[in-house]
Amino acid sequence: MTKHSSARQFLADAIHADVADIPHDARIGSFARWDSLAHMHLLLSIERHLGRQLKPDEAVQIESLADVTALVEKNARTNV
Amino acid sequence: MTAPPKGRPILLETERFALRSLKPSDASERWQNWAKDPEVMGPLNARTREMSREYLANYASSFDNNNRYLIGIFEKAKGLHIGFFIVEVDHAHRVATFNVVVGDKTWWGKAVVNEARAALLDEFFDKRGIEKACGVPLTRNFPAVLNYKAQGWRHEGTLHGQRLSSADGSRLDQYQFGLLRDEWHRIRTRGRNDEA
Repeated sequence: MTKHSSARQFLADAIHADVADIPHDARIGSFARWDSLAHMHLLLSIERHLGRQLKPDEAVQIESLADVTALVEKNARTNV
Repeated sequence: MTAPPKGRPILLETERFALRSLKPSDASERWQNWAKDPEVMGPLNARTREMSREYLANYASSFDNNNRYLIGIFEKAKGLHIGFFIVEVDHAHRVATFNVVVGDKTWWGKAVVNEARAALLDEFFDKRGIEKACGVPLTRNFPAVLNYKAQGWRHEGTLHGQRLSSADGSRLDQYQFGLLRDEWHRIRTRGRNDEA
């Protein structure tokens, strides 16, 4: 599984959808199902994956799947 | 000491909601239940507690619709009170700070806040002389953060250790979001064009 499909999986899980239903370019404001509760579930899911709470400056930057991917990749690099 | 002058009450409608300044007679068991629900109050860093109807009625009457507004959100189908905004106005700088509570959890995740807040932004920017709107959610209030971002507010900064936790006394971080009147007008225009 690529990092990007992993980000799609996070969002799919957050909205109880199939990953195939998640657009590759999904972002806040343009993908209606990414709503307030989905955002909460998404960020909590990312925190479980990282094993720590997101820092405020990390959490506020998440606006798109690409942001999720970047955050997960950055965390993986720092854990190598 | 004389009481501050009372302003014009809010009375607005959106597609699904009626928004109006709350009155003492709006104190209800529904509202009392929100005040003691940790899921509702926790993200706001507000202590859960029993509030009598008399307390809530006095609380509602303390808002003057000039410097401070308490605005109920009522769903139009049944007229049920589902939440409220508190808007605090700094007239000297034409800034309004918005806070919101959706107490009825059956309405969570149903885009209540941004539909209602859009009508309030129109009202405050276009009819009440406000030039900047602010919001200061706790950084862990992820649903509120989503709503600000989805509505086009700008993240202006992070206020570290700005609040004392009502739960455990730790220090909590807040974000500051802002929206200027011109920015809101551009968002509104773009939305209308998108719908066209």
